[in-house]
Amino acid sequence: MLSFLKKDLLVFWRDRKEILVALLLPIVLIVVLNFAFSGFLNGETDSIHLNVALVQDDNESLGFEKFEERVHDLDISTSDKESILKKAQLLSPTELLNTFFSDPELEEFISIQKLEAQEATNLVEKGDLDALINIPEGFTYSVLSSMLLDETTDKELIIEIKEESTEAGALQSMVSNYLNTLNFQFALGQVSGTAMSEPNLPQGGREVIDGVDPYTMADYFTFAIGTLFALFTASTLTAKTVTEKRERVFHRIMLTNSKPFDFLMGKVISTFGLTWIQLIITLVATHLLLDIFSGETSEYLLGIFIVITAFSIAVAGLAALFTPITLRLNDPDLSNGIFMIVIMVMGVIGGNFFPIDFLPEWIKKVGEWTPNGLTQTTLLKWVQYSSPTDLLVPIILLVSFFMICLFIGLFLFPKRGRM
Amino acid sequence: MLETINLSKNFKDKKVVDGIDMYLEQGESVGLLGPNGAGKSTTISMISSLLKPTSGDIKLGGKSIVRNPSEIRDVIGVVPQEIALYEELSAYENLKFFGEIYKVKKGVLENRIQEVLEMVGLKERQKELIKTFSGGMKRRINIAAALMHKPQVLILDEPTVGIDPQSRNRILETVRELNESHGTTVLYTSHYMEEVEQLCNRVYIMDHGKVIASGSKTELLSILSSELTVQVQLSETSDHIIDTIRLLDHVRHVEETNEGIRIISKRDANILSAIVLAAEKEGIQVTHYQMETPSLEDVFLHLTGKTLRD
Repeated sequence: MLSFLKKDLLVFWRDRKEILVALLLPIVLIVVLNFAFSGFLNGETDSIHLNVALVQDDNESLGFEKFEERVHDLDISTSDKESILKKAQLLSPTELLNTFFSDPELEEFISIQKLEAQEATNLVEKGDLDALINIPEGFTYSVLSSMLLDETTDKELIIEIKEESTEAGALQSMVSNYLNTLNFQFALGQVSGTAMSEPNLPQGGREVIDGVDPYTMADYFTFAIGTLFALFTASTLTAKTVTEKRERVFHRIMLTNSKPFDFLMGKVISTFGLTWIQLIITLVATHLLLDIFSGETSEYLLGIFIVITAFSIAVAGLAALFTPITLRLNDPDLSNGIFMIVIMVMGVIGGNFFPIDFLPEWIKKVGEWTPNGLTQTTLLKWVQYSSPTDLLVPIILLVSFFMICLFIGLFLFPKRGRM
Repeated sequence: MLETINLSKNFKDKKVVDGIDMYLEQGESVGLLGPNGAGKSTTISMISSLLKPTSGDIKLGGKSIVRNPSEIRDVIGVVPQEIALYEELSAYENLKFFGEIYKVKKGVLENRIQEVLEMVGLKERQKELIKTFSGGMKRRINIAAALMHKPQVLILDEPTVGIDPQSRNRILETVRELNESHGTTVLYTSHYMEEVEQLCNRVYIMDHGKVIASGSKTELLSILSSELTVQVQLSETSDHIIDTIRLLDHVRHVEETNEGIRIISKRDANILSAIVLAAEKEGIQVTHYQMETPSLEDVFLHLTGKTLRD
């Protein structure tokens, strides 16, 4: 087996063009795509900028007083009343909204100014402002009774926009996200029965959950392009089998009494090794160029290392499957074409070409069953929160994929006497 | 040592090899001749265990190897028609790889590589990549790779196709040396009759999947003992005169060659005068003639109706 492995590695190593493509192209693509799409995920662009007026029609203290009266009228125990009022004191909807919009990250693309209703409307009409957010009269009471008493609210934030645009849509989405998060945080506090501290509000247009770091475009492209090119490595090494078959080297090998398993394992181990090296080089180079692992813990890096090792094993499984198919098909172009289609389909549904969040749920599910899709999802989750137990199932699935491919590969391997 | 008994191979409905009986004694050098499509390569593939026969048997030392082909793989070396080498590896790396998978022991592998390189005359070029070699050099390494495990039987499938005379001579020398000095049994197929005549003690001639003749060179030539080959040059040649000669009594074959007209006829003392008379009737003179001794090529032509390179 070692002889086959040495031979396969040497043959690949001597093909400098393939090496350059396998090692350099993913790095170049990651860097180029990252610069081209930077800000797409993490708001690093300054192309969006909104001038928004915040109109305060609500009197917060009146709202609190009205809420207090409402609570006292309720047919509940005094201690419950006190508890609700205590929570209400912590919850100041208009203040939280002000805090949200004064977040430094958000301020980069939304300028908020507090204005009177008439003035704000005039400025929006004239086009000097992009939108106005109106906190309507009774908003505080409405929010408090909705959140703490579970009553239906009839007061909502009003957003007035001069013209529909992506930016205005983003603003609506942000405000809606803010309210949802506020509700969610409060519901959590209710369920756990703990005293509610200051809610963890959306930041800079992105939702932040405790212990979860957002992934960046560089993270996405690194894992997406890295895993995609790893799939191509399986195809590239299988293409060498085409030459072995065409030039009858494979027949000569079969005449040496070598076991098909040894031949196949040579391909499998060399594919694993080359894929692993390719991914490591891609990650290291991307880190040096885009600083993707800066400040990460050794536990985090170990997790990445383990996932790409498991993924490299899965890619080796693909080589185990592709090799006997190549040997069985008489037309080398046909086998190359089939593998290319398979890889491209895996790449698309696995989310290697673009994020598949907007695709139907079933496609996302199928995508996560591809080794590349599963790996990418696992790595992106790993970037967001570190829970080693979350790695276990994907690793088992990736290794299982390898085992299944290897068994099918051995089953399909052409028998001597039938070549 | 090695024999095939009623060996046949069908591909779908087509019978490619049809009931071949062949044998190779130990230390013998046997030629396998046949035009393209005669079934030579299929026969070799079956003997070397790459193809399973549809029917018949192959025996090595009296034991059938069809069901247990691993035995024959240990004792045969096959030189395929194609250059079955890794172009990206050097001659040395190729031989080392094939030596390792032939399970040549580590202690002797290095010596064996140098031995076979010496045999094919490429010891000095061993570090160079195969893709930088000429066609002839590649063919020599192609043979060397089949010799790594010191096979008792060497099967060569047209090993000299498309190479320069120098490499061709080197290959013929190597095969002769293996056969004569090392006692290697050789089964040699070629399009070049002179190579077979030069190297082989016995010859099998195949056509349409069947062995149509076999024996030593003398035995095969005796097939033509009743025939005579005459090469004539005429003052002028036309289709008419060729047809006239073809219609003469006892003439079996007439063909126009670069040297004139080649006539194979029944051995008859009067054939030359008959040709001269026929030519004179057409106002043509015989300017030169030569009586030829039949060659294996003539035997082949006689048996198959085609030349080897057809």
